[in-house]
Amino acid sequence: MALPLETLKERAAGDALLARFGLDFDCALLVGDGDTDWLVEIERGVIVRVAKGPFIMPKTDLRLRAASETWQRFLEPVPPPGYHDLLALRRYRRIQIEGDIRLMSAYLFYLKRLFALLRAPGA
Amino acid sequence: MKATREPVTGYYLNVEILGRPQRLYVEEAGQGIPLLCLHTAGSDTRQYRGLMNDAGITRDFRVIAFDMPWHGKSSPPAGWQTEEYRLTSADYARMVLEVCDALALERPAVMGCSIGGRIALVLAMEHAQRFRAIIGLQSGASIDPYYELTWFHHPQVHGSEASAAYVSGLMAPMSPEADRWETLWHYMQSGPGIFKGDLYFYRGADGDIRARLGAIDTRVCPLYLLTGEYDYSVSPEDTRAAAERIKGAKFSVMPKLGHFPMSENPALFLTYLRPVLAEIRGRG
Repeated sequence: MALPLETLKERAAGDALLARFGLDFDCALLVGDGDTDWLVEIERGVIVRVAKGPFIMPKTDLRLRAASETWQRFLEPVPPPGYHDLLALRRYRRIQIEGDIRLMSAYLFYLKRLFALLRAPGA
Repeated sequence: MKATREPVTGYYLNVEILGRPQRLYVEEAGQGIPLLCLHTAGSDTRQYRGLMNDAGITRDFRVIAFDMPWHGKSSPPAGWQTEEYRLTSADYARMVLEVCDALALERPAVMGCSIGGRIALVLAMEHAQRFRAIIGLQSGASIDPYYELTWFHHPQVHGSEASAAYVSGLMAPMSPEADRWETLWHYMQSGPGIFKGDLYFYRGADGDIRARLGAIDTRVCPLYLLTGEYDYSVSPEDTRAAAERIKGAKFSVMPKLGHFPMSENPALFLTYLRPVLAEIRGRG
């Protein structure tokens, strides 16, 4: 397990970019970190719940899953090329992206910011 | 803050492009060897602001950039409201030649980035004698379709913000924040469907020139290929694969840059470009 998702709520609180790009964003986001699943619930752009799995039959809008080693490299302060962005992971088939791609496209700045916040110090 | 005026001139050119009257926006700076610069898909000439403001370059080069029709301050052609904009490889190459003719550029150097980097290869292949040098930034002969185009033009998604978000990661994380966000702003200002329309040839069979690269003769026109290391759309490996099929092509990787070198970090980009321009100047 690599992603410090248990700290996501605090990291995201008051973030100006999330506020700027999160207008009316509602999403049940499943994040897979190796064998561990997390459910991030976003309402109107605010992260209201972060829960650690396993889940039996979670209702989700979007599912992003990668190996822990991949997330580990993604989280490096200066990530190497190919590991520095969600779509860079996608280009090299290191992440599985499933679900409502319309929703993901509409709020891609928000989602990229959310994951970038996990990289910042303060884990 | 003291107001300063940049040594950049912008003007409108009324010209026939691809058989239709167009009102084209052009920017220029400097004098000497004409260097025509081609912007990326869904963006405009502002990407070359760093180049146009570099006195060392504009002393010897007349840097020229134009907003392609439908882009930046160039209007779409009359009747656009009933058309779907789709750029083809042949139209793009012809457009560049028609702009060269309209501006009476004599054997200019041409430099293009991304889709402009692809058309640079096409120009090298089909019109080498028209240019004194060709520089491809983020040039690849084809592209891995790792993303969906649908959402760049769809009533339920803000296409220009989505386009900007899709390309945002193509820049190097260490590029200056202000320049990265300015680069994205250009994308956010793009007209509806334009980024997607530019990618029509770039992503499709029409633009896949892998099998034709061997036809490029760098003895007729030298070809320089520069690629930023953080670009995953056209990665250094993609450009290297193209360069290996072109005898005499000069390829180099630009560390700490991504897909928009001239715009995401102009100062760093110029350190890689200056030796290339010096070589072009040396050849006369």
